[in-house]
Amino acid sequence: MLDWLKNINKEYPDFWKDYLTKFETKPNRFVVLSTETSGLNPDKDVILSLGAFSVIDDGIVIKDNFESVLLQYKYLQDNGLSNEFIIESKMIKMPEPDALEAFIKFLGNAILVGHHINFDIEMLNSALERLDCGRIKNEALDVDIMYRKLMDVNDKQFSLDDLCEIYKIPKSDRNSSAEDAYRIALLFLKLKSRLGIK
Amino acid sequence: MNTIAEHIADFLKEYPPFDNLTFQELSDIAINIRVINLEKHTVLFQNNDALHDSFYVVASGVINLTTIADAEETIINKCHEGDIFGLRPFFAKNNYMMTAKAREESIIYAIPIAVFRPFVANNSDVLNFLLESFAVNSRHTKDSVNSNGKVISDTSFYVDQGSEMQYIQSLSYNNSPLTTEANHIVKDVAILMTEAMVDNIIVCEKNKPIGIVTATDLSSKIATGRYPITETIDKIMSSPVVTVIENVSLAEAQLLMLKHNVTHLCVTKDGTSKSAVKGIISEHDLIVAQASNPGVLIKEIKRSQLPKDLKQIRDRLSDLIQNSIQKNIPISHISNIASEINLAIIKRAVELSILDLGSPPARFAWLSIGSQGRKEQLLLTDQDSILIFEDVTPEKYRETKDYFLRLAKRATAILEKVGYEYCPNGHMGSNMLWCKSLTDWTKQYNSWMNTPGENSNDLSSIFFDYEIVFGEPKIEEVIENVIFKNAVNNTLFFDFLGNDALKKNSPLSFFKKFIVEEEGPHKTKFDIKTRALMPLIDGARLLILNANIKGIKNTYLRFKQLAITDSKNAEIYLSCAEAFLTLSKFRTVEGLKNDDSGQYINLREMSKTDKEKLKNALTPMKDLEELIKSKFQLTQFS
Repeated sequence: MLDWLKNINKEYPDFWKDYLTKFETKPNRFVVLSTETSGLNPDKDVILSLGAFSVIDDGIVIKDNFESVLLQYKYLQDNGLSNEFIIESKMIKMPEPDALEAFIKFLGNAILVGHHINFDIEMLNSALERLDCGRIKNEALDVDIMYRKLMDVNDKQFSLDDLCEIYKIPKSDRNSSAEDAYRIALLFLKLKSRLGIK
Repeated sequence: MNTIAEHIADFLKEYPPFDNLTFQELSDIAINIRVINLEKHTVLFQNNDALHDSFYVVASGVINLTTIADAEETIINKCHEGDIFGLRPFFAKNNYMMTAKAREESIIYAIPIAVFRPFVANNSDVLNFLLESFAVNSRHTKDSVNSNGKVISDTSFYVDQGSEMQYIQSLSYNNSPLTTEANHIVKDVAILMTEAMVDNIIVCEKNKPIGIVTATDLSSKIATGRYPITETIDKIMSSPVVTVIENVSLAEAQLLMLKHNVTHLCVTKDGTSKSAVKGIISEHDLIVAQASNPGVLIKEIKRSQLPKDLKQIRDRLSDLIQNSIQKNIPISHISNIASEINLAIIKRAVELSILDLGSPPARFAWLSIGSQGRKEQLLLTDQDSILIFEDVTPEKYRETKDYFLRLAKRATAILEKVGYEYCPNGHMGSNMLWCKSLTDWTKQYNSWMNTPGENSNDLSSIFFDYEIVFGEPKIEEVIENVIFKNAVNNTLFFDFLGNDALKKNSPLSFFKKFIVEEEGPHKTKFDIKTRALMPLIDGARLLILNANIKGIKNTYLRFKQLAITDSKNAEIYLSCAEAFLTLSKFRTVEGLKNDDSGQYINLREMSKTDKEKLKNALTPMKDLEELIKSKFQLTQFS
């Protein structure tokens, strides 16, 4: 509530204003997201890469994807790494503000899906704050919570690898946020039909 | 940049026709794919659904393709990883002609036709692959032997083999028949028929059939001058027309034609003349459908030149068995047909080897032993065979044995390519030990039967179930006589066989629970072969040898025969015969489900009623055991 008061007269960047208008319509698409971060603290750590796929009508739409490596100069310097370290990746490289803008445009009003998605959202929110934007408004689903609801388990969390093993989704030898996003998307399809989510 | 699209392209390039495309092209295709997850038993499309805008590739799991005939579902094909299906939208405008359903949870790539079409147009290899696969009526494209991927035709109804199997066979027929109305002029109708090159036309009123005009009507009523060609068509039509429901089976169509003495049947939506016309079945369609039956399969086997041709035929047999079991055709009947076809395949393998090696230097007999010898082979199991050649002069012996060993090696290698694995215990004619002269074989049987236990490692009871496949029947007779002569009053031998039959572990615990495997890869599964089938098979063999009954090789028939010969125990024998069939069926179903020998049954996947049925089939074993114990007073080896 106070956040809202604080921001009432604030001038947002154009892409953010555009994003806010998208919520007038109902979402028809899910965006499955996975992030790679430098650590677990939303205030101190940064996002290193983003991978996302959209799911429409019970199918993963391969074309409708978002992949990016974020050039975190400050992070690299703090850790004594050179730029070359990150240039090895085949993914598109963008500075954090560009990547976030592009991702918000890609996301639109879709329902976010992830594994322990709250953390991803917190990371995104802190990055957005640095760009003078508000907080992510999208609805969000967490595959771990979906699984626990399906199985009626309350006292235990499941890692992405646990869940993939349960549903026999092959592990990938290369590990990137795009691969994780794809695996989460497959998991999501399986859980979605079992839970009867439209 | 799309990492996953590249992974998918990597996957596709392993399978035809995608292997003809460059990686860049595949990436372009992959980027347009939709990935779909199908839960078990989910239907992707079904008969008569409008065509989708995509075709499909199985990424993981299994999809069953089925058609419906006589209101029953028949599996046409199973699509595994890398298989393509649902190509119909490429070539046809009307609806799907089959149902695609997930047999287990599966992940499917949907490739949009619009995206793939340019690649087909620009790449003749891809086009040819699709056309060729589409042109053949069944799944058995040339490629299916050589490659993992195959395309399944879904243009027409699947026409399966089997004159005995007719009632499960569906028909392909004309789905867009010519129709006309009652007030049309004969001449115009005749022109219409000539242009369409068909010999029949249905006369309709508001799309409901009221009669039919065939070439016969034209010749008998017009050409004879009885009616002028300016007459209206209703004057010469045959009415009423015989109507049938959609998806009628071959057998039913045949019966109806005979009953009504007609050459055409009109297919309507609900099978009566009060609904819309869907198609026309002509006598010719029946003839075409009959062209593939077990008789034809055997003919094809006789014509085959290569192992891979034989393999295709063996695959078709598996389909036939699967369909028959689904239709509840008696298992004894199915195994008769299956054994005949197996026999023909083995025979052809020996024949092909002789064609390669030149004429044999002496007469010989190739015997199948074990399950094929008993005519009980339904699933692809390993090979068991022996070779017996007639005695030759000592100086020729080496040369002769060499020839037959080479012959056997060749024949067993062909069979291995067809899909019959080598016997793990080496019980094959290609083994030095089991390829020898008649005298040596006589000695062998004599020693087995008169001094059992001395070299008991060698003695496997499967040597007492044999059937000649190729060569001189007299040789088999001689061996049979040796066995039965030795069996008379041979307490020691029966003691040995009896103990062998009884030492198998019992199937149920004291509390009537299944005894399952405790360790190993089949943990918690039930070993139906060793615990249930083998005791019956062994028991039947023992009793039939003891009763000195020749010529009956099949466990089921052995029990039936025993019930006649030894009538005071008839009840036990008859229940064993029934139990044997039930158990064989369970095993075959399990084997077809997992594409293996079906030895281990997964009890957890079984319904409660099936479990009861299985348990009931195990009860006669106790009686049989008691019977054997009392009959042979087993002492010597116990």
